[in-house]
Amino acid sequence: MTEIIVVTSGKGGVGKTTTSASLATGLAQRNHKVAVIDFDIGLRNLDLIMGCERRVVYDFINVIHKEATLKQALIRDKRLDSLYILAASQTRDKEALTQDGVEQVLDELRQDEFDYVICDSPAGIERGAHLAMYFADRAVVVVNPEVSSVRDSDRILGLLSSKTRHGERGDGGVPAHVVVTRYHPEKVAEGDMLSLEDIEEILGLSILGVIPEHDSVLTSSNQGIPVIHNPDSHAGLAYEDLVARLFGEDRPMRFLDVPRKSLLKRVFGG
Amino acid sequence: MSATTRKAYSTVSEVRFGQVGMANLRLLHIDAKALEDELLERVSKAPQLLKCAALILDLGHLDKEIDTPTAKTLLDAIRHAGMLPVALAYGTPATEILAHSLDLPVLAGFREAYRYSAEVLNSLAKNDGVSPGAAVASPSEHTYTATRHHAQPVRSGQQLYARDTDLVVTAHVANGAEVIADGSIHVYGALRGRALAGAQGLASARIYSSEFRAELVSIAGCYRVFERLPSELEGQPVQCWLQGETLHVTKLER
Ligand SMILES: Nc1ncnc2c1ncn2[C@@H]1O[C@H](COP(=O)(O)OP(=O)(O)OP(=O)(O)O)[C@@H](O)[C@H]1O
Ligand SMILES: [Mg+2]
Repeated sequence: MTEIIVVTSGKGGVGKTTTSASLATGLAQRNHKVAVIDFDIGLRNLDLIMGCERRVVYDFINVIHKEATLKQALIRDKRLDSLYILAASQTRDKEALTQDGVEQVLDELRQDEFDYVICDSPAGIERGAHLAMYFADRAVVVVNPEVSSVRDSDRILGLLSSKTRHGERGDGGVPAHVVVTRYHPEKVAEGDMLSLEDIEEILGLSILGVIPEHDSVLTSSNQGIPVIHNPDSHAGLAYEDLVARLFGEDRPMRFLDVPRKSLLKRVFGG
Repeated sequence: MSATTRKAYSTVSEVRFGQVGMANLRLLHIDAKALEDELLERVSKAPQLLKCAALILDLGHLDKEIDTPTAKTLLDAIRHAGMLPVALAYGTPATEILAHSLDLPVLAGFREAYRYSAEVLNSLAKNDGVSPGAAVASPSEHTYTATRHHAQPVRSGQQLYARDTDLVVTAHVANGAEVIADGSIHVYGALRGRALAGAQGLASARIYSSEFRAELVSIAGCYRVFERLPSELEGQPVQCWLQGETLHVTKLER
């Protein structure tokens, strides 16, 4: 059985693509066959973060328009044999994405016995975001600890329960996990950001994982290595915890407290 | 079996008025072939939803009235496409006569039971020898629309409307969400969005919330916007009601 997971948020720049890359990688590390699809037509980000931008010959839109087969367009990850990337098109506009086309690609991935298909949604609630969530079996809703992001995620949760295939069938919509990214313990402690309790209360859902704000994320993205590969990064470890929790493992939340500055840093600043 | 056989049951049926989901087909052009093709495509795309779905045909958006044979070809086209027309949507007196000739009921826009216009009723009575009273038992006096229950959170951007009845939400109502009822509204959870009771003007409608944080409350059009909640109300169980033109919002004392 193939499970289709959409990574979505409403608001832009909250960490969807970063999360998609690490989630897909984490699933493949557990020997599952995984495809990760970039629905952000016109921008192309996922292939950069996955470090395969030079190997993109055909993309998602080429497959939808039958200009290439799915096999030709799927790029195998350099590090993990069971991980494949389907890049977005940089040259086409969003209208090139059609519901039938998306469904056909997903059906073919099902036939090819992929265990998971991760759909990296664009920001907003327009066509691309709609199609990324429409066929999903599960959703990961990425949220930053700030009011506007939580509000947008609430909106997305509403759409997941109504404007999706599961929603239209009336079986309760797409079950959703909330993931808080770019979590800044200092700012939360100072009251500049929403606390995890605030977020859970506003959304009425419990949080599956919390990814701290850390420079290693940007470094990893620039190197084209999903941060989950980096065992020295708190963000990477937090993503690894998150994947484990998806499989029912009990991993306590970590990296939530304000890190104590070392004596040296306190004396010399930093 | 003889007519005198004792029956083991007192009645063989029950008649109830309830709400069921039905497709509403608004016809824009009279073209049976095109209609069939269009519906075939829609049904093939969403078979679970549309195949064998009961359908109400709405002729109110055509620029002319249609005769019985034309209507029959349209109904056949719909059936060929795999859907089941069960009624005509409320329209003009001509729609009523057409419905009668097709042996189909006429349904009003929403749940309220439809009442034939006196004019049509009289003409039907003349034709069939049925009295107007027998043709349609007046349903209005004893209809009761069941309270609408909603157990899921009402999310930002969502709107929930309980027409002709009360609304009970057993989850929270988010900022930017809207709950509306023609009757009263009960929210057993945080009410952070907007609540509009008595939407059709019922001044005795009330709003209750077990955790009041609303952006706006309105009863029968009288509303109050809360940019900042009074501290004695914020997060408290609260009741809102209308007295004359004054909208009261008070803490529910136990
Ligand atoms: N945990 C984190 N710590 C620090 N920076 C982060 C973290 N997560 C994401 N970022 C940074 O935030 C920016 C946006 O991340 P990303 O591209 O994943 O977001 P997105 O939601 O996919 O954006 P878009 O809406 O544009 O698709 C990137 O520069 C990324 O490196
Ligand atoms: Mg992105």
